[in-house]
Amino acid sequence: MTYQSLAQGAGPRPWPRLWWDGFLRTARQLDRRAWLVVPPLALLLVVFVYPVGWLLLRSVSDPIWGLQHYERMIERPVYLHVLWNTVVISFTVTSVCLAFGYPVAYTMAHASPQVRRLLVFVVLIPFWTSLLVRTFAWMVLLQKTGVINDVLIGIGLLDQPAALIYNRIGVVVGMVQVQLPIMILPLYTILIRIDSRYTQAAATLGAGPIRNFLRVYLPLSMPGVATGAMLVFIISLGYYITPALLGGGGDVMIAQLIQMQIEEFGNWGFASALSVVLLFGTAVTIGLIYRIAFPKELRFIER
Amino acid sequence: MGSLNGWTWVRAAICVLLTIFMVAPLAIIVVISFSSAPFLRFPPPGFSLQWYRSFFGNPVWLKTLSISVQVMIPAALGATTLGTMSAVGIARGRLPGASLIAGLLMAPFVVPVIITAAAIFGMFRAWNLYGTLLGLMIAHTVLTLPFVMATTLAAMRMVKPELEDAALTLGATHWSAFWRVTFPLILPAVLTGLLFSLVISFDELIVSLFISSPSVRPITVQMWSDIRGSVDPTIAAIATVLFSFSLFVMLIDHLYRRSSAKRALTSESS
Amino acid sequence: MDKKSVKAPPGALMSSVDPEFSRRAFLIASSAVAVGGIGTMLTPLGNRALAAKKFEGRKVVFASWGGSYQDAEKVAYCDPFAEKTGATVLQDGPMNAAKFRTMVEAGAPVWDVVDVTDTFLYSAAKDNLLEEIDTSVVNVKRVSPEFVHKYGIGDIVWSYNLGYSTKIFNEQNHPRSWADLYDVKKFPGRRTLNQDVVPNLEIALLADGVPMDKLYPLDVERAFKKMSTLKEHVIFWQTNSQSQQLFIDGEVACGTILNGRAYDAVKKGGMLAIEWNQNIQSIDYLVVPKGAKNKELAMGLIDEMTVAENQAKVANLIAYSPTNKDAYASVDKQITPWLATSPQNAGKGFLVNKLYWQDHREKLNERFQEWKLA
Repeated sequence: MTYQSLAQGAGPRPWPRLWWDGFLRTARQLDRRAWLVVPPLALLLVVFVYPVGWLLLRSVSDPIWGLQHYERMIERPVYLHVLWNTVVISFTVTSVCLAFGYPVAYTMAHASPQVRRLLVFVVLIPFWTSLLVRTFAWMVLLQKTGVINDVLIGIGLLDQPAALIYNRIGVVVGMVQVQLPIMILPLYTILIRIDSRYTQAAATLGAGPIRNFLRVYLPLSMPGVATGAMLVFIISLGYYITPALLGGGGDVMIAQLIQMQIEEFGNWGFASALSVVLLFGTAVTIGLIYRIAFPKELRFIER
Repeated sequence: MGSLNGWTWVRAAICVLLTIFMVAPLAIIVVISFSSAPFLRFPPPGFSLQWYRSFFGNPVWLKTLSISVQVMIPAALGATTLGTMSAVGIARGRLPGASLIAGLLMAPFVVPVIITAAAIFGMFRAWNLYGTLLGLMIAHTVLTLPFVMATTLAAMRMVKPELEDAALTLGATHWSAFWRVTFPLILPAVLTGLLFSLVISFDELIVSLFISSPSVRPITVQMWSDIRGSVDPTIAAIATVLFSFSLFVMLIDHLYRRSSAKRALTSESS
Repeated sequence: MDKKSVKAPPGALMSSVDPEFSRRAFLIASSAVAVGGIGTMLTPLGNRALAAKKFEGRKVVFASWGGSYQDAEKVAYCDPFAEKTGATVLQDGPMNAAKFRTMVEAGAPVWDVVDVTDTFLYSAAKDNLLEEIDTSVVNVKRVSPEFVHKYGIGDIVWSYNLGYSTKIFNEQNHPRSWADLYDVKKFPGRRTLNQDVVPNLEIALLADGVPMDKLYPLDVERAFKKMSTLKEHVIFWQTNSQSQQLFIDGEVACGTILNGRAYDAVKKGGMLAIEWNQNIQSIDYLVVPKGAKNKELAMGLIDEMTVAENQAKVANLIAYSPTNKDAYASVDKQITPWLATSPQNAGKGFLVNKLYWQDHREKLNERFQEWKLA
């Protein structure tokens, strides 16, 4: 009995042969170019997967084995408060991005090529610019002596400068500007592929513009909405720079907590427990959105 | 979809607002950097290059700038090489766990940066890479690799394998088939990946915050420590320099894509 | 050949034509130069020239509080030291108590000389985080004895003051005490406090009516309760520079600011003033973290910082009081109203009790950080 005939199922079948079987088939199936993935994979395993795994493990092993860090998180209301803050802020930012991003993506998808190219360029600018630079720009703009207050007082809406920074407003505004491209671009790629014949057909069947939009176009755009919203939400969860520079004491997000625990208190175990919670939240969000917003019937819309 | 004329105006207004919202803050910083007044005030009273002089005349800023440059070039080259390799391997390798491997390589993109930063910091301390140029290069390579891989993979998927097979039947080796057939077709994506890696590395703050030391520190970390107490527009000048770099790189990418699209053999997303 | 035995013919004119003579002259001249040169190198002047660059090519890392204060320290202490010894002084910071602790506990401190508050000095000394000051290098006699500690040398005396915006308040009506800081109705607007636990507990208790001499031991519960009434109006500053920036930008109506930083902000055109009533004084010490890599240079740098004229430079730049009595002679007269130790200001405040904080700092700071997040 040759290996080949064995692989093809000849002869008696003891249980170990099942995995041996698959391995052979795979090995023969591999193109030699597959080996190209080994160096990048190796680098990632050593410099990324292993350290992150080690960090997450510390949540239950540092300084002694046990769930003491998780207990602390639940016992002291402070930490749940920060977690709640993080979720609320992320949700707010996502909603605002959606509210402004949808019309823009729609315009981009339906405009003339010149307008579209211009809008794409404008939307991409923040994408390529440093987060720190953009946040700094907002620090300058939102101050009491900054441009926005000057304008608002100048046109008579206010008598006194408003507090736009070091509070929730500053954080949301800063984060929205940074996250808008992330909402708009995936949405745009989906909208551009929606076949206009669907809406045309609905119109000929008697649907008014609003009904047409709500019952035909919007559901077709859901995969884009879901992708954009999901990306913005999970990225917001892990935000650090913007809340640290533009937020006040009541806007502390979980990433700042993690940084503080490591750099200020050297408390790796607790920082790790917080990281686990953050990662868990991210994973759950991805899973949920994927389930809810990508029902099987809509999948054929994607090319 | 029928045109909703009322809504069209609303949409147009939103787009204009958006453009202002995206661009104005940056434009204002650029203008302030040329201000003659020592405060961060807009509009500035006069024009002056003093803040740029203050930046370029300061050895600390120049040193951190040079560190940033020394880190970003190897990191971008490394990420581009490894990213392209992984894209080719996944697209053509017929790997059984292809999506798992691709997912793993994309992981640094999905895992919150703060976690990556803390994890790498912990490891680097143990491996004596804390505060070293090499450590920064390795970390930045890992951080930018996902993007290169994603763009290159998308491009690889657009290249029909039949083209390579045709080259092989005509007598080419795998190696030359790749370089002379496939690579020119994915070059725009590879270049975008390279350029984007340069920008990401140059602007990277969070991981660098954890793994840099006073003598080996990129410019973003130095900015971070000065930003809250920035009494004068030197920081605006530095921000403008960073922003100009991003814009410059973005323009190169844009122009290259336009010219390569004109010469493209297959349809390329441009 | 023994040139010296040849007798030179009388008349110098002969030298231009006599090669024997000019060769001799050249030899004598060059040996004279050689002897002179060797002699110069061996003289005391020469000794100093050689020894001066003794730290040539070596580095020492100095960490302080950043911004205008650190700039002043660089000019007054680090530059003279670098010039004298040839060493390179790297600036880092800002100083952060927890960071310092983490660094030393990990066994590899990045900082060699650190400027710290007195409460931190006592707490860190107790926890064995510091190197002893090497008195054979550091001339401690130059500094007044009350500022000399086994593990640190005091370099400045400063105070936390109640700062207020002169744009919002005028001479007649402005906050005059910590109780006024807590009175949001009478003096509306946002406040700023420093993000560390010291001296926020003291300020809260003073605002609640506890007299200055009855503060310690601190009634912690009462302090936290009082602080919670103000919390929503507070922006906590992370660095001293940020405290200046908040006043300059007009983001706050009043708050805590260091006297020297207030002086610096006003110099830069900021519209603020400070109140000396109930000022809370403190002393900054220069310490060397345990396990510092460049201990020898660290001690040399600290010694440089005890020199009277260097301390006077700092005082003139940023209004912090020197610890070397001789420095007062070189301090500008217009700085005096801004100094914590000048006669008109000293009596109005009190010194933070470092012995109390030595025992309680770590625990209370952790509690304070959690309170901030809630």
